[in-house]
Amino acid sequence: MSKQPLLKINNLSTSFRIGDDYYAAVDDVSLTVNENEVVAIVGESGCGKSALALSIMQLHPQERTKMAGEVLFNGKNLLSLSVSEMNKVRGKDMGMIFQDPLTALNPLMRVGQQIEESMKNHLQLSDAEMKKRSLELLNKVGIPNPERTYMQYPHELSGGMRQRVVIAIAIACEPKFLIADEPTTALDVTIQAQILDLMRDLQSQMKTGIILITHDLGVVAEMADKVAVMYAGEIVEFADVSTLYNNPLHPYTRSLFNSIPSAAHGQDRLHVIQGIVPSLKNLPRTGCRFSERIPWIDSATHEEHPALHEVEKDHFVRCSCYQHFHFPKDAEDLKYDIS
Amino acid sequence: MTFLKLENLKVYYPVRGGFFKRVVDNVKAVDDITLELKEGETYGLVGESGCGKSTTGRTLLGLNKATSGKIIFNDVDLLSLNRREYSQYRKDIQMIFQDPYSSLNPRKRVIDIIAEPIRNFEKLSSKEVKRKVQEVLEKVGLSPESIYKYPHEFSGGQRQRIGIARALTLNPRLIVADEPVSALDVSVQAQVLNFMKDIQKEFNLTYLFISHDLGIIRHMCDRIGIMYKGRIVEQGTTEDIYENPQHIYTKRLLSAIPDINPDNRDKHMAFRKQVDAEFNNSFNQYFDTEGKIVDLRPLSETHSVALP
Repeated sequence: MSKQPLLKINNLSTSFRIGDDYYAAVDDVSLTVNENEVVAIVGESGCGKSALALSIMQLHPQERTKMAGEVLFNGKNLLSLSVSEMNKVRGKDMGMIFQDPLTALNPLMRVGQQIEESMKNHLQLSDAEMKKRSLELLNKVGIPNPERTYMQYPHELSGGMRQRVVIAIAIACEPKFLIADEPTTALDVTIQAQILDLMRDLQSQMKTGIILITHDLGVVAEMADKVAVMYAGEIVEFADVSTLYNNPLHPYTRSLFNSIPSAAHGQDRLHVIQGIVPSLKNLPRTGCRFSERIPWIDSATHEEHPALHEVEKDHFVRCSCYQHFHFPKDAEDLKYDIS
Repeated sequence: MTFLKLENLKVYYPVRGGFFKRVVDNVKAVDDITLELKEGETYGLVGESGCGKSTTGRTLLGLNKATSGKIIFNDVDLLSLNRREYSQYRKDIQMIFQDPYSSLNPRKRVIDIIAEPIRNFEKLSSKEVKRKVQEVLEKVGLSPESIYKYPHEFSGGQRQRIGIARALTLNPRLIVADEPVSALDVSVQAQVLNFMKDIQKEFNLTYLFISHDLGIIRHMCDRIGIMYKGRIVEQGTTEDIYENPQHIYTKRLLSAIPDINPDNRDKHMAFRKQVDAEFNNSFNQYFDTEGKIVDLRPLSETHSVALP
């Protein structure tokens, strides 16, 4: 099966204005999503993963944002499109699933109207056709009684049902590409499992390319084909899911894995990453950005201008410090940060 | 001696309607549960949203009113006490809240937040209060100089530690932790969980740990109760629950946790589908004729299940 590059991001940087200066939240990120492929972006809050997603969709407020680089979708650079041209792409060729289904839905509109909204803008369909299609969509996302739900308001639905509606809206115009921003974070585990199954089914039916943004490494293991780990606006490690989980190399990736209770059971103490995720203004702009959180590693092992190295086929790691990384050995290193 | 025992605890919320706003029905948030905590252990209460786990915790602190039942703490039934008698025991039971952003008053300084319980229960001069607040702050790993700062000057993990410091000031014996790390990033989560384990050893604390995250529960708890629709459906040691789940709801909950190994993906998914099918088929067996989940039945000394 040959895979076509669907979305190609080249050296994308997104900077936000704070006061009079611009600070890059997404810094020189390159990424390719092929057809029928799920690429997960993992990281803690503040690492720039959502900023990256919104940059692709161009949903940042323009007057406070500077973007550089290229986002190639179907050969077109999205960054050079005008607002009205972008409106034609957004919702039609690219869909987005938001994190919190309650705030993503309009509380004053019936579910049916909200699903039809994007069809109205992008497809020339009669009212009857749109209704028929909405009911089909509701059925497709596993809502038991589409006719009834069609006429309901979001507050009448449970969290899982609302998220299904959000997914129905995102796939209403059969986009070739989807961004799912923490699609299951607000849901219970059993509902999460259902939603993930649903997304996987839809993806294999429609051959969509998906960017899945999450902080949950379990969800990534269940869903993704490839994984990009982000820290402080940069991709620090990129590989296919099996390689990354069996052989994580970058210190940040390894620290993340060691701090999840489910992966570390049997071990009495969890690994704590020292310090905090730096805020946008205080991001270290030179050298290895993760160095200040692993102070016990000799600073000479970091590169001056850390680059992504291909350490094995299709496995990229930033900076050379991973070769010398070890977890803190004595108890002194493990102490919480005193601030 | 009984350290803590909830006996046939019920919390009902009345639904009013019809003529004269009479009580037409009850929402049974907590429906006749019995559980016991031994001193120094961590008991995990797990379930999906709406199952009544938070209501149980809040009722234990007196933040919700129990409809009937007993809360026996140190051999005394807290629900039978009047206000003044009850206040002696208030100090011994404290709570850590879920969201470190909304549980700290943004207009108060750290010293005022942490000193509030001291001011309520102990008569100390302001100098002594300050010294005591600095002491607890040091215990939770924050610098004593930060007492005049405001909550917004701290990160999420630090805020949660301020919340813990507030809970620790009166030397409690039991802490109800209601989703203490759900709002935090994994690395910060690890920090808070490690810290909670440390202070548990140091002060011989007992935790009632409420969470929906089964990974965290497994890491933290000695014994676990699985709640569903206001009832406990299975109770046992961590090993009982994770290695030998008996109730179909427990099985379903466990199978829904994503497998951290991507190579097992298909196997895990097939297993989940199988459990789901079993759940749908045998679901009705676990309820009695009135649609109430059946009572717990002991399987072994530690393990009991609501099997028909």
